[in-house]
Amino acid sequence: MVTFLDVVERALTGKPCSEREYDLKIFSTKLMEKVKEYDIRYDPQNLVPSDNSLADDVFKAALDFYCEVGTYCKDTERIIKFDENEARERLKTAPSKLTFGEGTDAGTLVPRKPEDKTLPWCFCGAGGVAVSSEQIFSKLVESYARIPIANSITTPALTRINGIRIRPESPLEILGAIRTVVLGREALRRAGRPGLPIMNAISTADSAIALIAGLHPEFGLRPTDSYMIATLAEMKTNFDLLNRACTLLSLALPIAALYGPIYGGYCGGPEGTAVATVAYHFMGALVYQAGWHLAFPIHVKYIASSIPELLWVASVYAQAISRNTHLLALYYNYTSAGPCTEMCLHEIAAQYTSAITSGVSMETGGIAGGKREDYLTPVEPKFTAEVAHAVAGLKREDANELVRKIVPTYVDKIANPPLGMKHQECCDFDTGKPSQKCWDVYSKVKKELTDLGLEFK
Amino acid sequence: MSKEELFKKLSDAVVACDSQAVVEAAKQVIEKRIDAVEAIEKGLSKGAMIVGEKFDKLEVFLTGLMMAADAMKAGMDVLLPAISKEKVVKKGTVVSGTVRGDIHDIGKNILVALLRANGFDVYDLGTDVPTSKFIEEAEKVKADVITLSALMSSTIGGQKDVIDYLRETGKREKFIVMVGGGPTTREWFEEIGADGWAETATEAVKIASELIKKKK
Repeated sequence: MVTFLDVVERALTGKPCSEREYDLKIFSTKLMEKVKEYDIRYDPQNLVPSDNSLADDVFKAALDFYCEVGTYCKDTERIIKFDENEARERLKTAPSKLTFGEGTDAGTLVPRKPEDKTLPWCFCGAGGVAVSSEQIFSKLVESYARIPIANSITTPALTRINGIRIRPESPLEILGAIRTVVLGREALRRAGRPGLPIMNAISTADSAIALIAGLHPEFGLRPTDSYMIATLAEMKTNFDLLNRACTLLSLALPIAALYGPIYGGYCGGPEGTAVATVAYHFMGALVYQAGWHLAFPIHVKYIASSIPELLWVASVYAQAISRNTHLLALYYNYTSAGPCTEMCLHEIAAQYTSAITSGVSMETGGIAGGKREDYLTPVEPKFTAEVAHAVAGLKREDANELVRKIVPTYVDKIANPPLGMKHQECCDFDTGKPSQKCWDVYSKVKKELTDLGLEFK
Repeated sequence: MSKEELFKKLSDAVVACDSQAVVEAAKQVIEKRIDAVEAIEKGLSKGAMIVGEKFDKLEVFLTGLMMAADAMKAGMDVLLPAISKEKVVKKGTVVSGTVRGDIHDIGKNILVALLRANGFDVYDLGTDVPTSKFIEEAEKVKADVITLSALMSSTIGGQKDVIDYLRETGKREKFIVMVGGGPTTREWFEEIGADGWAETATEAVKIASELIKKKK
């Protein structure tokens, strides 16, 4: 069994290598070799492929690949490696279910399979996207908690403390982390769902020191919340991230590992991105000893994941993981368009139809590329969760047909999408409730999808 | 082999990311006493432009772009010593880095590769760069442009810190400052008083060229 201390030791004693050599000669080169060896091919006609052997080949390619390339530690400039037996053993011993939340708001995250009727876990909220004020933060979290089918909440990140922009690893970041926790918990109470788990704790903490500060029990986080640790593109970590894992593991707190492989970057095209996404799950399970996994393959230019190639990646990686492991895997999207636009909802519908029918659960994602402060409303997460429930159980073949009908509604606009509206422009200041215009857009797109054959529950 | 054929060989070898072929062709340029400036413009730079355009359309991915930049650098190392200092025409000198507290480098790496491919002299400071380091380096190399990358909404404040530091030390007018990265927007660039902002690295190269021309 690989322990966390083994990981740290390997970070110190693994093969020395420059970062550039790792990127170009090891990661990228080996990835292309595996894509070729396993003959993995993107098929634009089958964005949600029904071919099980493709998913299984992607899984095998990813396992081979990861055991050959390992994870690069930026601080030691060495490669942390695992052999296939260690990887397979970890996949067997990884949690097959985890319970989050308290009292009547508690729930259990379980693995799913392609075409599974089991409803996906709906992790609803901001996806860590930034907001400019505590007022907007609180109103949004309250609204997310009022989504009836939300199983857990993802809070926004604060960018300012008392109007001062947060700087990394500064007292402002520590204050931001603490305030995120306190405000998030209070907002859930106000919404009448105090036991709902916060599963991206702590969104404002980008450093280990801020995470550790926000963990103090006085501020309100619980062992039944969950805690995220990012990986670095591609297949890298550093001491700060390992410090977070060390702290969380020592406190027996459930860790989610985050993976954002970049389509067009060192992963290359859709085939390489799919293999890398699966390989990242092995990294998370082994390096961070993660209990659950969140993947968001993303476009190098558009900071969106709704192009057809990335819908295929979402489906193929989800099938590879769900068919070959019991890992608790969630998908997270980035839309190109902003809130309160039809295009944004179309992108969401295509993305989650691809991923959910392929066997994973979901976190609602980054709207407008997740990069614009305050471009958040509760409508998009609600819509996302409803789509996820509606498509659960759909045959992959039918999902493919549906996705192929949705894609043409937005694909030509990805490079120049409508920005939509800021929270301040489309939600009531005091109540946080979205305007009628937001609901009109929501109803229109839901009707379109219903006309295409989707049955909302 | 004619001059034109040699230039094509240089360009093709850059597109093929074949450093060895680039070096061989560059050596032939020197041996045949062909104008090295012309070889850079019509051979190496042309190849690099082709790769940049292909990357923009994602016909080539980042690995190809980085390797083509390496191939171009290998050719420049052979050709530059043959050019007298007065004849070396650089588009500009750029100091690039990701701001303090931010360890993300892919966006910055793309920008550096594209700037180099387009004839800029680039000093890459890496990631998590302290505020004053950008300025020290820019003064040392007499930079035209400082580019500040940031990937996180929690780290873009570092871009403002560099601009404020320049302003408060009376050095703001010495450099063109450009900002970029995932969470940056037009509103942000205007708010902090940067000179340029781009959503993509390709646009950033164009804007840097325009801003340098305008300043000169």
